[in-house]
Amino acid sequence: MAKSFPFEDHKIDVLQEVDLRLLAGMSLSIRGDSGCGKTTLLNLLARLETGDCGEISWEEHKMDARAPCTSKEASLRASFIGVVYQSYYLIPELDVLENVLIAGKISGSYGQDTKDRARALLSKMGVGNKEKQIPTKLSGGERQRVAIARALINQPKLILADEPTGNLDERTGGEVMDLLLMSCAEEKAALILVTHNPIFAKATHESIFLKQGKLNNQ
Amino acid sequence: MKLPWPLYLAWKQLFPSQKKVSFFSLLAVVGVALGVNVMIVVIAFMQGFQAKFRNDIIDAQGHGRVVPWKSSFNWQEKKKQIEEFPFIEQVMPYLQGQILLQKGDYHSIPFSMGIQPSSENRVFDINSFLAGGAMKMNAHDAEDITPIPTIDSLDDEVIFISTQVANRLGVRPPSVIRFYDLNHTQNKQASQVSISRLDPFVESGEWEVLFTSDQDFVIRELASDREFAAKVTDGPIDQGVGIPVFHPLINSESFKQGDLFKFHVFKGSIIEVFSPSMIEKAKADEMVPPREVRIGGIFEVPWQGFHTEALIGTMRFMQDMRGEEGRIDGFYIRAIDSVAKNERQLGKSCAELEDFLGEGWGVVPWFVENAWFFDLLKFEEYLMILIMVPIGLVAAFAIAIALMTSVLRKIREIGLLVAMGGSRISVGAVFCLQGFIIGLLGSILGCGFALLFMYFRDELMTFIVQKIAGEEGQAGVSQFYDFYSLEIYYPWESTESLATFLTFAFFAIMISTLAGLLPAWRATRLKPADALRSE
Repeated sequence: MAKSFPFEDHKIDVLQEVDLRLLAGMSLSIRGDSGCGKTTLLNLLARLETGDCGEISWEEHKMDARAPCTSKEASLRASFIGVVYQSYYLIPELDVLENVLIAGKISGSYGQDTKDRARALLSKMGVGNKEKQIPTKLSGGERQRVAIARALINQPKLILADEPTGNLDERTGGEVMDLLLMSCAEEKAALILVTHNPIFAKATHESIFLKQGKLNNQ
Repeated sequence: MKLPWPLYLAWKQLFPSQKKVSFFSLLAVVGVALGVNVMIVVIAFMQGFQAKFRNDIIDAQGHGRVVPWKSSFNWQEKKKQIEEFPFIEQVMPYLQGQILLQKGDYHSIPFSMGIQPSSENRVFDINSFLAGGAMKMNAHDAEDITPIPTIDSLDDEVIFISTQVANRLGVRPPSVIRFYDLNHTQNKQASQVSISRLDPFVESGEWEVLFTSDQDFVIRELASDREFAAKVTDGPIDQGVGIPVFHPLINSESFKQGDLFKFHVFKGSIIEVFSPSMIEKAKADEMVPPREVRIGGIFEVPWQGFHTEALIGTMRFMQDMRGEEGRIDGFYIRAIDSVAKNERQLGKSCAELEDFLGEGWGVVPWFVENAWFFDLLKFEEYLMILIMVPIGLVAAFAIAIALMTSVLRKIREIGLLVAMGGSRISVGAVFCLQGFIIGLLGSILGCGFALLFMYFRDELMTFIVQKIAGEEGQAGVSQFYDFYSLEIYYPWESTESLATFLTFAFFAIMISTLAGLLPAWRATRLKPADALRSE
């Protein structure tokens, strides 16, 4: 897979000959300098962006990386992938429980089972007592825990976490990372973690480094 | 409840959790509601005016006019023919013209119409015209108790004139005042003697009614010493033409011996009438004395298209004035209710009657005769809509701008929704549905406001008029802008009203939804990766 961005009169090759395979239940960390293309790689994997060439497979579902995401793929993404971002991106008009449930609703899960699961996930994340709070009343660590619960609500096969501890202090970041790794293991979800922190990177099954658009095993 | 997530999120963005109401949502919904309310109320009033004018015109002109194109025909036979036609309820022959009235140095040349006086006449509601024209005298230590004249008073020697003619000539019909006295005429609980009829031939004079016991009384005219004994149980005491009909009215405090009621009767004015036929005779050096007639009543026709200076007399009076015995100008008709309420049906029936009457006859329904006026009202209604639609569009622009700002503020959220599996169309629908919800709630609230306005119309109008014109000015204002008597229908009472409510509610929902389309389109155009990267 490759991806370049046009810049003035030339193009910048962000990703070149990227070949990546992740087995179910495994975790992988990607490190690299700022602007090296880590987030772009996650976006390509989630089909939020198109590549210049290559192929992406979500289990048996193969997709041309150059083609825009279809609505069928978007709906498949809802149940196959969970996303966690550095800035949490919680919806301020919804309370904690509703923020988790909205991901379920998007994937078509409306029932009481989903609600029970959301409550269970929030309890597991340690914010079960804050389900009626609005996100602005929560601390950064609490918000990220809610975001992880939201990413897990649809029992996805893959979690894409883009610097999930980037906005947190070391201790809180550590707690959140432990929760993320533990939950992914429990849910048997594969994890691709983009991080600058070598300690967090070491905690994953596999760790790779992105440099000059190419992935290098460490 | 399985609410589609775009609708759920649209609702939540307008009415967030843990917050009673969002300021933007409140302003947007109230803005739409006020717009819908104003549009419905204005159009309801316009329709009310139209309904009022429609009724006034029908009261003053009947449902139509049968007009002969030739002058000689047997009108009695023709009347019978028309009466037999299925949709006709009543037929009234008429004769029109202009005659000169004189009282002292004052003159008037009113539009004059001769009709067949009949208490069964329903073609024209003359009794209500007479009630509308009734004037009260201000008397010292007495009250005007003149009974309102009826069509029964009309006679070949008696005419009814419009208020303007009465004012121009300074004349009035017979009237009567009852003196306040030490007895108990001002006591609301006390039994009273009133006058229930005062015919046009009554002469001026003072009358008294003296109770000789709680059941018996004597009516006496003081000048002539005429006297009639009567009992309370006799009811109205009718002693014939020229004598007021005294009517004992029993209240919670019954009459007692010694009760005395005093009245002063003023005779009706007598005026001189000159007709064009008299002038023709005068030209031939014939001595023609003016004809004297009595004023039997003063009327006010609510339809201003009717001549303001007008006279109503008997048909024979008008025939005499025109010097054309046995002649009529046509017939006014009244249709049965089932036909009258539907203009298209009435028009069709009139055309059928015209065919039935054959060549030389025309049948003109009221809405054709007054088409110019209703075209004017319709034009005014459309003009109102034309003025109000841009107001609605301004509200829509405000909603569009607010939602567009919301899109710009929520760019990363839009990216997130796509990343979570939402299709671009669903994400766009979140913003479009916000416009729809604002329109829907605004319309419901606006319809509610409109219903409240209609229900409390009189109170609101009184409040507004009092604030503008003060207590005294209220009568003056309502004389020209008579909102009180307007017939305004609730949507469950009339299909026209229901259509108005539904049209404006639909308009508001459509405009608000369209206002949400632009931000929605903007949201769908965002690339999710770019949206997530945005600062």
